[in-house]
This record gives sequence, C-alpha cells and structure tokens, in this order.
Amino acid sequence: MRGRPMLYTRYETDQALMNTGTKKLMLALFLVFLILVPLGVIPGVDFLAQDEWLRLLSEVSIYGIAALGLNVLTGLAGQVSLGHAFFMGVGAYTAAWLGAAPGPFNGLGLPIWIWLPAAGIVAAVIGVAVGPTAVRVRGLYLAFVTLGLVFVGEYVFRNWTSLTGGAQTGRTFPPLEFRLWKEETPLIDFVSDGPWFGIELSGEAKTYYLLAVFAIVFVVLSKNLQRTRVGRAFQSIRDRDVAAEIMGVNEAKYKLIAFGISSFYAGIGGALLASFVGRMIPEQWNLFLSVEIIAIVLIGGAGVVTGTILGSVFVILLPRIVEDVTHGLAAIVVEGSGPIAWIGDLFISTGLDDFGFVNTQAGVAPGLSIPQFNQVLYGLLIILFLIFEPLGLYGIWLRIRNYWKGWPFTY
Amino acid sequence: MKAKSKWLAIFLVLGLILAACGGDGGTDETTTSAESTDTTEDMTSTTEGDMTSTTAGGAGEIATDVGVDLEAGTITVGLLSDLSGVFSSLVQIIVTGHEVYWEQVNANGGIGGLEVVVNPVDTAYDPPTHVQRYEELKDEVVAFGHSTGSPHTVAINDQLQADGILAIPLTWYSGWSDDAINANLLHHGVPYCLESMNIIGYLKDMMGDGLQTIAIASNPGDYGLDSHEGAVLAAEALGLEVVYEGREAINAADEATLTEVANGIVQSGADLAYVTTSPTAFSTIFGTALAQGYQGTWSGAGPSYNPAFIAPDSPIKDAIAASTYWSAYYGLWGMDTPGVQEATQLLTDSGRVEVPVSAYFEGFVEAQIMHAALEQAYANGDMTQAGVLAAAKSLENVALDGLGPDETYVGANNDQVQRASAAIWRPDPEALASGESAGEEVLETDYTNAITEAYEFNEACYSLEG
Repeated sequence: MRGRPMLYTRYETDQALMNTGTKKLMLALFLVFLILVPLGVIPGVDFLAQDEWLRLLSEVSIYGIAALGLNVLTGLAGQVSLGHAFFMGVGAYTAAWLGAAPGPFNGLGLPIWIWLPAAGIVAAVIGVAVGPTAVRVRGLYLAFVTLGLVFVGEYVFRNWTSLTGGAQTGRTFPPLEFRLWKEETPLIDFVSDGPWFGIELSGEAKTYYLLAVFAIVFVVLSKNLQRTRVGRAFQSIRDRDVAAEIMGVNEAKYKLIAFGISSFYAGIGGALLASFVGRMIPEQWNLFLSVEIIAIVLIGGAGVVTGTILGSVFVILLPRIVEDVTHGLAAIVVEGSGPIAWIGDLFISTGLDDFGFVNTQAGVAPGLSIPQFNQVLYGLLIILFLIFEPLGLYGIWLRIRNYWKGWPFTY
Repeated sequence: MKAKSKWLAIFLVLGLILAACGGDGGTDETTTSAESTDTTEDMTSTTEGDMTSTTAGGAGEIATDVGVDLEAGTITVGLLSDLSGVFSSLVQIIVTGHEVYWEQVNANGGIGGLEVVVNPVDTAYDPPTHVQRYEELKDEVVAFGHSTGSPHTVAINDQLQADGILAIPLTWYSGWSDDAINANLLHHGVPYCLESMNIIGYLKDMMGDGLQTIAIASNPGDYGLDSHEGAVLAAEALGLEVVYEGREAINAADEATLTEVANGIVQSGADLAYVTTSPTAFSTIFGTALAQGYQGTWSGAGPSYNPAFIAPDSPIKDAIAASTYWSAYYGLWGMDTPGVQEATQLLTDSGRVEVPVSAYFEGFVEAQIMHAALEQAYANGDMTQAGVLAAAKSLENVALDGLGPDETYVGANNDQVQRASAAIWRPDPEALASGESAGEEVLETDYTNAITEAYEFNEACYSLEG
C-alpha cells in the first residue's frame, strides 16, 4: 500500500503542505536553483546573475508578496478589490515615517525589524477600519468602494507633503539594511557590494536573497492559511456566502479578516517596493499599480498560491521579454529576408512610413511604444485568461502535469 | 524502506549531476564549492582590474572599462529618455538632437577616431522604470547623455555615485548646481529659480512703475517649487508686493484647482501673473482669467509654454502674443548666433526636422557638453567611466557659441551656477504661421538680470532631499 500516489491514510498527510514526494523534491531543487542564480553557475540561465536581471527577480518577489495578499482577498474570499495600491502606499509611507533618517520629511530612523512589520500592521489596521463599509457591499459595488480608496489615497499622499514629499517630488525611503537599533554602520547591509561568507556578491544579489527569503516566508504563510479554519471560512464565503452563513460562518467577521490580511501583505509589499526603488512619488500608488497586481492574480490563477508566483514571474518579466523579442525581431525585419521578416514587418514599424503595432523607438515610427504595448497586453491577457483559462497559468500547468501523469494514456 | 531508498538514490544522483555542472569542467568534485567561489572572485577582479584594458591610441595609452570599445572603435553614451510618458513629445525631439549632433561629429573623425553611439532607452517618466533602465545601461555605457526628470535622477543618484558614472540631468532644477548632490551630475542652462529672477527682473526693467504687484502660482514638485522660490526672491529683491500666492496650488488633473488659481489671480488684480505649470494648465488658467477681464502681464517657467498657444486656430493666440514673456534655457530657432545657425543647418540637412522646434537645440547642448567631457577624457588618456566623470568635472569652460550660455564645472556653487537665460522672448503668431520659425520673437540673447547677478547661490533654492 505504501508509496502509492494519492493514497492518504492519515488526515495530516492529506493536508500536508507538501503532500507528495515529487513536490518535496521539486521544491528542494527550486530552492537550490534560487540560491545558485546570483552566482551565475547554472548553465543556460547564467545571464540571470546580471544586476539588471537580479533586480527584475527581486521585483518578482516584491510584487509576489503584494499579489499574495490580493490572492487571499480575491482568490480565497472572493472579494473584488481595486484598492490594493492604496494599501501598498500606506505600507510604504509607514516604513518611511518609521525607518527613514530624520530630515526634511517625517522620519524616525528606526531599524527594519520595526518598520517592516509596522508597515504591514498599519496597512492591516486601515484595511480593517475601512472594512465595515466594504463588507456591506459586494461585486461591482465593492469594486467601486475600493476604487474610491485609490483616489482618496492618492489625494492624501499628494497633499501630505511632510510625510510623502509632495506631488511630483516624492521622498527617499529607508534602505534595506539590518540594524539592531540606530547604530552608525548597519549589522547587515543588503544594498552595497561586498563579501558574504567569503563569496563576493553584488548589492543586487544581496537584495535578491533578502527579498527571496521574504517571499518564501509569505508563500508559506499564505499556503498555510488555506488549510486553516479561517482559510476554509474564506472559501465558503467565496463559493456561496448565504450558504456559508447558514453553516455558521460569520460573514462580516471573516470578510474583515480577509481585508486585514490582504492589506497586511500589501503594506509589506509596498514598503519593500519603496525601499527597493529608493524614491517614489505619491502618484505612483495609482490605479495602474492595482491593475498590475490584479493581472498577476488573474493571469497566474486566482486562489492558488503557486499561480500567484507564476503570475508575478510572468507579469514582471513580460515587459522585458516583449522588449527583447521586439528588438530581436526588428533586427531581422531591417535585414529583410525570410518569412520571419515578412511576418515581423506586419507587427513592427521600423521607419516613418512603415505600418506596425509596435515600434522599437518611440516617437520615431508610428505605432505603440513598448511600454504602451505592454499595458494593452496586460488587459488583453486578463480578458483571454478569464474566458479561456480561468485557472490561469496554474490551470495550464495542471493540464500539462495531468497529461504526463497519465502518459501514455489520455486519462 | 524501499521508497525511501529510491528517493535517496535519485537525490544522490542529482546531487552528483549538480556538482559536475557546478564544477565548470573541474577535475576534482570535492573542490566544487571552492572553485565556484574562485570564479566569482575572478569575475569581480576582472571588472575592476583586468577589463580596464589599455591600448595605444592617438593620444598615447587610453584606459577603458565600460562603454568604450577600442577594437570596434565605438563610444556608447546612454540616454535615459521619456519616450512614452508625459514629456515624450519633447524628449523625442531632444533625442533626435543628440543623434544629429553625433552623426556630424562621427563624420568628422569622432573622438580620436572613435565613433560615438547613443543608446536611448524609454523610462516612461516612471521612477522604478528609470532605476531599472539605469541598471540595464550601466554596464554598457561610458556615461549618460541625459537623465529625464528630477525625482527620477535623484532616485539613481546614489547608484551613480557608487558606480562612479556621469549623468546630465534633463531638467533645470537648481539643485544640479549644488555640490551637496551633484558629485556625478552636470548642470546646464539657467535653473528654474534663477530663470524666474531673470524674466521678472526683465519685466520690471521694461514696465517700470507699471509693475508693482505680482501673483505667483505653481505646480507641486521641484519644477514648480524651484521656480516659485525664484519668483518670491525676485519679488523681494525688486520690492514687488505679492498679492496672490498659490504655492503648489495647481493640479493639472483637477480642473477645480485651475479655476481657483485663475480666480485668485483675477481678484488680486496683480500687474504680473507668474504661473509655473504645464502648458495645458497654463492655457486653462490664462483663458479663465482672460474671460473674467484680467488685464495683467503673464509669464512663467519655460515649460509652461507650448507653440500650440499661438497656432493659427488657437482662440487665445492674440492675447498670448500681447501679454506673455518668456525666458529660454537654450537657443531659439532662427536666433542669430553661430551655434544656432550651425545647428539649424545640420538639422535641416539631416532631413529629420518636420517643423522647426527649438527643443532640438537642447539635445545639441547636452551632446556638446558630453562631447567636451569625452574629448577631455581622451586627452587625459582615461576613458573609463570614472575617467569621463573626472574629466567632466574639470571642464572650466564649455563654449556653446550661443546655442546656450557657456558652462563651467569648476569652483564653488556660486561660481558654477548658470545665471544667463539663452534668450528673453515673446510669442509671434505670424512668424509661426509662416513656418519660418517656432514663433519666438527674440528680445534679448544671453541675458542676465542685475538681481540674478547679485544673488548669492550657495544651495538649491528648493531642496529635493530627504
């Protein structure tokens, strides 16, 4: 009997985070992969060790954390929210107030072990505070309530100059450094180059490691949440709120908890993003940021932690890949031979009189610039995934997995 | 037991494969970790030492690291440009200016035979994207020919200093002349703050007793506030009474703020309305005030103006022409200076100019400053990123022949800061309609007002720190 897949003799093994050996092995390999990436020793993907790619991967971690929060709210509890960017902003400015060095703007100079958790907690408290309004409505109306939050938030951020630096100006945020208290030199510095355990690492690599660890912690927490009493309550509300209440699930209470947890993640994500970029202007915490996070959750697969991770990798790396592909294609088009050049020419405009959807140098040729094209692409992908693959990238992965599980049989 | 041992075996095999891969062709598997450590250290030392190759050039030994390829004969200059954001239409023109300028330099032998290639990337006027683009380019370029946006440039400033790379900010914030933050930056053109003094001083000289009161309104951000500070200082120096002050009062996205500012200006009845904002907001405020019968004179920082104000179909073209005065950071199309004439010729010959716009000259000015820095670095025999930075910071005089006022990068803040506006001008709808110029009637060139001359510049008028 032992060793058979999908056969569980105990409830604990059925509910285990890693319920099969394959998953454990894959996870172990994935962790080894994550550790080796900045060292540039993995053949084929050694380019990821470049600073620019490490920064993109760090961004994946940050957006991943923020999106995990929305995944709890939208994916697990089934509540729509367009207000995620607002809570990210709240987290960022809490971090700035507590962590940034005293100067022209509010800053107490406290260490990261205070400002980072506080960023999450303050965002969560505000999330719970606005929650009572939000739990009274659902669906489209909830979308409007949360949409309002983004605009109210942007107004406050723009005008609270002593904290945010003011519109179009912004302020600096505390760097990713670990201090015990306010000592002069940080105990661990995650931003400047230098050796760790005898290995020479760039600042980007250190930031990457730190953020990867944070992301892993939040992934585990999030994954764990699904199998708790609270997680089950969320899912029952999502699937049928009336039925859930009849079963004794306190709808208002659990919706509030969902808002709180989701905002906590957003706060942490926002604080890390601001700290990572170093300087943010208040206009940054806008609707487009919310939409980006929604894109991650929907493209990855709502309600699934693995999906959110896949989604953030996809959404963050997409612009870069689109750009590389466009430039590569443009080179072929300019050379002008073969079927690829012919197809590419329809797509890319290379000169003033050339028709195409996308141009490689904005303003010179007609068509959309690559960042504009990316925004169109996000929208398109959200629509296509919702229609054809509601489970997102995770759904695609499931189908691939199941195909090989049954191979050579179809089921 | 069986299952466990199976997994153990797989794990061991995988471990061995990994070790073999990681060993990088090494013979002894037990030293894998040590070897990979060595590789990393080697790579680092390469970037710092070995890659700094030296070779015999025209001026002797030339040291290089990033962005200068002596074998291919190229020097790569990066441009952090807003090609798709709010300032894209302006920045695209400036990028063309860079390209046309360098084409001519390359055609005439480049820098010691090396060809200069510009690599513009799109930052979309978004700080995170700006930082990301910087990371992408820093290992490809010898310096940055421009960096669009003040908060954006401040966001990469620490990195520029850590990496020892030079950048020319594409904004006229007075902080770029402040040694507290400009260790790796080159200012150019009169900063917003001193620009306000020049144009308000000019108007006072022109209007005499007709100018007693001033209304000041501004956008938020370094642009609005730096300009605002300058206007307040000018009012103080000239003894003008500030009858309305809308500091940071303008939000272009919010129509109500525009009406409020317009009402404030009308009610104050000021002789001069000094409004620093975007062209859209400026025209709205101007139009609203005009409709209410406001009769005063208008001005503001350069970017508040747009040639569309005096386009043939513009309803406010006559009012704009009659009552607004502006200052310029760089030369104007059709201006009679050698620099402008030469640049105009090059631009016309390149066939890339559809409508005459002075903004091309901004690209020329930036490129010319970079040219001077690269020439100096070449003469010093050090074309590393740090070498170009050091060379730039030693330039005593960058002569621009009237394309803009000459620049200097040595001495104290007060000695370095640019005080001269390239021109004082007023809009001319007829000239624009004829297609001969961008519709700018030049009143003064290379202009510095007495109050600007007297102003002691020790630090940025408005601090962007924190």
